[in-house]
Amino acid sequence: MPELLETVDVAKYFGGVRALDGVSIKVKEGSVIGLIGPNGSGKTTLFNVITGFYVPERGEVWFNNERIDGLNPNEVYLKGLVRTFQIPRLFPSLTVLENVIITPPYQIGERVLDAPFKKRWEKQEVDLAKKAVELLRRFGMGKYIKSKISELSAAHIKMLETIRGLLASPKILLLDEPAAGVAYTTAKELFEYILRLRSEQGLTFLIIEHRLEVLMDYVDYVYVLHNGKLLSEGKPEEVVQDPKVIEAYLGG
Amino acid sequence: MEACPIGSLNPGRGGEDMVEFNVLGFLIDWSTFFAIYAILAISLNLEIGYTGMANFGKVAFYAIGAYLSAVLTIVAFLTIFGVSAPLYSVDTVIALGEHGAELPWLNIGLFILSIVLSAIVAGVVGYLVTYPTLRVGPAFLGITILSFGEMLRFFLRNYEPLGSTYGLFGVPHPFQWIPNPTVRTGIYALIVLGIMFGIYIYAERLVNSPFGRVLRAIKDDEVAALCLGKHVPRIKATVLFIGSAMAGVAGALYLFYLGSVNPDMFIPRVTFDIWAMVILGGMGNNKGAIVGAAIITFVDRALTFITPSLGLTAYITPDYIRWMTVGLLIVLVLLFKPGGLIPEKPIKTPALEIADKIEEG
Repeated sequence: MPELLETVDVAKYFGGVRALDGVSIKVKEGSVIGLIGPNGSGKTTLFNVITGFYVPERGEVWFNNERIDGLNPNEVYLKGLVRTFQIPRLFPSLTVLENVIITPPYQIGERVLDAPFKKRWEKQEVDLAKKAVELLRRFGMGKYIKSKISELSAAHIKMLETIRGLLASPKILLLDEPAAGVAYTTAKELFEYILRLRSEQGLTFLIIEHRLEVLMDYVDYVYVLHNGKLLSEGKPEEVVQDPKVIEAYLGG
Repeated sequence: MEACPIGSLNPGRGGEDMVEFNVLGFLIDWSTFFAIYAILAISLNLEIGYTGMANFGKVAFYAIGAYLSAVLTIVAFLTIFGVSAPLYSVDTVIALGEHGAELPWLNIGLFILSIVLSAIVAGVVGYLVTYPTLRVGPAFLGITILSFGEMLRFFLRNYEPLGSTYGLFGVPHPFQWIPNPTVRTGIYALIVLGIMFGIYIYAERLVNSPFGRVLRAIKDDEVAALCLGKHVPRIKATVLFIGSAMAGVAGALYLFYLGSVNPDMFIPRVTFDIWAMVILGGMGNNKGAIVGAAIITFVDRALTFITPSLGLTAYITPDYIRWMTVGLLIVLVLLFKPGGLIPEKPIKTPALEIADKIEEG
């Protein structure tokens, strides 16, 4: 299988801090890849470089045989790379349904000249709303469709952030701690669903996760970051046995 | 009709010679002003209430509309009637007075053309002035437009071909050929109200659509909207184009009502009057903007009409009473209804109706 996403020797410094210092990872199409590492190891910074938030000091980011470092976040999104945030960034003045339905790109009704004419975009809106409702129900959020974000629990907010990434029909989803604060069983359901999406739609996932016990059963391959460098990589069962990884997590 | 706009929203008509309170005159005057300011309030609400962009220079685009319409109309009249005189001169004013009622279709044609051109020019200027600031942050936007408005005003004050501080006079009314002034201004008031209503409908449709949903998303969290593939700088510049175009239309309507224009009509305070309307009525609600405009223009017009007959002018000018009243109103509304008289409501996209149907079926 070809590489869908690849970073080559990516470096990002903040003043004297080397948040990323030559990180190269490869994500094959249709795989589920884990990205782990202790706090401050550079996991989220790597996400930010891939999704166009930061321009790297050095190195390249390739997606679908196209170089994407230096593009703006919205351009990266339109290429089919969708991310979620560690601290969810939902829109509080919109309802749950609207927070989901806003994600698909190129909506007719979002074009300023078509927006005042409901007839032009109503059909697309109806289709998207049906899909969004179905998706929300699948994750047990059916009764919150019309709720405001402020009425949701932290776990539901976290779930919603992931769910809305799915409606955009991306090529790859970058999930930043999707299971943080989510109950163990719900987290399991989420990962089961991720595997199903992978087999049904060929979606690719790159997942940051702290809770190794949840992650390990579901990922094909794991990269371990430590102080901005790759510490280890391999199959999940190999990585958890690696003494360097154990030391980084427990001691050091 | 001399312009003396520093005091209030409008040059004070009435005055000492007006003993009887002219109810019809007041209603016509108020509804014209209400409609013009409602357009401005709707346009500001689109920017600050829905998209979260603090525009502190709304008055600049209002001025562009007024000046553009004045220049266009005066130049057209001078050319058609073969008068060669500078735009600001006694000859011009006399010529405009002589020929202003001769060709009704010329007046109406110039009125329509002025509105269209004002919208386009003000919109384009709004887009160009603000586009470079949209990537740096909200404060830059506010300061840049505020400064732009003041620079424009000082330029006009010092630019002699446009009459410098005196401005331009004698622009014929679109219905100059109707001899009865009450009928003339009455018809004009109805037309301005109609245009306001059209702009309101447009704004409502625009915000209750997927586009409006994106605007609210940008207001809530620009970065998240950017991450969801929305081209935030371009969308914001588009909103400023629309808002500035609306302000340009309001400027054209204002000019044809007064028949004259001068730079000091467009001091920053006008912008803050519009802000007061939006805050009072309710941010993020077009009906609120209209209510806010109705209240503040009512206070303004009522004081201008009534104060002289109260015999208080020796002690206090209507303008000070107006400022105190508006200030008091804002404090009271913010105390008891912090969201404004008609607060923000969820947008009405069909998505939620569909969700309801799915629930039922």
